[in-house]
Amino acid sequence: MLEQFLAQLVNGLTLGVIYALIAVGYTMVYGVIELINFAHGEIYMLGAFLCVTFISALGIPFYPAIALAMLCCAAFGILLDIVAYRPLRKAPRLAALITAIGMSIFLQNLAMVIWGSRPKPFAQEAVPAYLKLTAVDVAGVHLTWLQVFIFAVTIGMMGGLYLTITRTRIGTAMRALAQNKTAAALMGINVNFVISFTFALGSAMGAVAGVLVSVYYNTLSPTMGYVAGVKAFAAAVLGGIGSVPGAMLGGVVLGVAEALGAGYVSSLYRDGVAYAVLIAVILFRPSGLLGRAVIDKA
Amino acid sequence: MKAKLSTRALFVALAALMAYPFMPFASEYVLHVMILMMVYMVLAMGLNIVPGFCGLLDLGFVGFYGIGAYTSGLLTIHYGVPFWFIVPLAALNGALWGVLLGAPTLRLTGDYFAIVTFGFSELVVLFLTNEIWLTRGPLGLPGIDPVSIDLTWLNEDWFWEFLGEKPYFHLAALMVGGVWFVVRRLEDSRLGRAWFAIRADSLAAASCGVNILNYKVIAFAISASIGALGGAFFARWTLFLSPDMFKFWESFLVLCMIVLGGLGNVYGALVGAAVLTALGEVLREVLPVLGMPPEVRFLAYGLIMVLIMRFKPGGFFPAIATSGRSNPALADVQRRMAAHGATGEGGGGTAS
Repeated sequence: MLEQFLAQLVNGLTLGVIYALIAVGYTMVYGVIELINFAHGEIYMLGAFLCVTFISALGIPFYPAIALAMLCCAAFGILLDIVAYRPLRKAPRLAALITAIGMSIFLQNLAMVIWGSRPKPFAQEAVPAYLKLTAVDVAGVHLTWLQVFIFAVTIGMMGGLYLTITRTRIGTAMRALAQNKTAAALMGINVNFVISFTFALGSAMGAVAGVLVSVYYNTLSPTMGYVAGVKAFAAAVLGGIGSVPGAMLGGVVLGVAEALGAGYVSSLYRDGVAYAVLIAVILFRPSGLLGRAVIDKA
Repeated sequence: MKAKLSTRALFVALAALMAYPFMPFASEYVLHVMILMMVYMVLAMGLNIVPGFCGLLDLGFVGFYGIGAYTSGLLTIHYGVPFWFIVPLAALNGALWGVLLGAPTLRLTGDYFAIVTFGFSELVVLFLTNEIWLTRGPLGLPGIDPVSIDLTWLNEDWFWEFLGEKPYFHLAALMVGGVWFVVRRLEDSRLGRAWFAIRADSLAAASCGVNILNYKVIAFAISASIGALGGAFFARWTLFLSPDMFKFWESFLVLCMIVLGGLGNVYGALVGAAVLTALGEVLREVLPVLGMPPEVRFLAYGLIMVLIMRFKPGGFFPAIATSGRSNPALADVQRRMAAHGATGEGGGGTAS
């Protein structure tokens, strides 16, 4: 009993930290420009595909390939903002939201055209062998080095992000923008630069999440961003959209809830957990677990 | 005089259209596409009520379409309920779910509402996929009876063979006409004006005594019942249903149609549905010839959406030019929205 519970818990935590990594991207963009960036899930998917392509087509080793995928996705995030969202900053909310959905559909199908619509295995030969070994084996719970790696990378990135937001000039500028864009601009903050930086940061973290998931499950597909995006968004809402620590907490809670739900209730409704959590949170506590109660601005 | 002439021309065109299926040169394929087009016209007019009239993005429309289709299919298979009873039952079921989903969620602001409705449509697909005892899950629901017109005295096989898909064509036309009539009436009614007022500025509407939530729920329920109506017809026409038919793509496609035509414009919804259905069929034929995969079709839709929002945010027929009849309330609302660069849901976002 306990063994099964612990095993599910470990699975849930692994998934949860990855959701948290994607959720941070949603929440930062929402915090700064109040847009639900539907295409964020597609950036996560692109990260995974770019990494595999770098490994298999260009022969780049595992770790540099991840770094390169991060860089590309960061650049892509900035491009996405400039091409699709920036022209609509002053347009009605509905227009920006529809554009975001349009971008998401476009990117997903572009990936299908480029890489084919069927799921692919991750380039296993490039993954360092030691990541597959068991690191800890306590009470029947196997923890592989890969899982340890996932925890280490995500926690490291979260810490780095937290420090960036709270301790650096650009982080202060981001928080200022989230408070009041006009006032921030009057104080001499280059608003567009900060927004681009936010997109780059969120996209890079999303790309890492994409690589980690596709290594963990040894599979990647053009549609993976869709489901993961919804779940990460649910996590962001659960934690309180606009709040970075909230997104981290929300991701972990959602991952654990999903793993336990799949283990003890019904694995068929695995994805349903995220939707149900999403609907319930929005209805009963729209400001989320750690969110500020400013959502009802409109 | 001129108006009279154009009305006459319209009737001639309609009569020609209605006669088309019986012409010797009529092709089954063209008929099929035209029926599909009319299904989408119904869906587009139904969805248009929520984002178009009230300014709330509804991403869960396909859920109601699916509910209507499965209501229709299951009632036919298990209870042999005749089509004319199924239509109101399916519409009622759609409206019921519309109220169930809308009453608690319509207090939410735009983005959140969009997300909740999206979650709802995904839950509907999950339900249809997993409740195998009821829906046969991913295997789909075959063996739905076609709509039969009770003409027992005409028990001639050659006659039914001659008819083929033709009754569906006229049935679909009847449905489009009915929904069009209802929606146009609604647009000009008190209800319609309240909706436009909510879209323009929900806070101002509320302070003028409009009970926003009630009006939104009514809009949502009507929209849902029209979606379910489309589904009810769709099930009895394709005779096969599967959960895949009701994925988010369909919602997106219908959204594309109304955005292309112009949010809030009934005529725009019709044109958008016709254009995108036709475009879809053309691409379906052309893409394989050009050696391109079918995904290019949705890629194109995504791009169309982004480009329209960028360069023609009002669509090709912005709602201000709704009809020959001018709607002063609407025109006024539009002018004010333009003046303020206002947003759909109560002016959020642009904090200037």
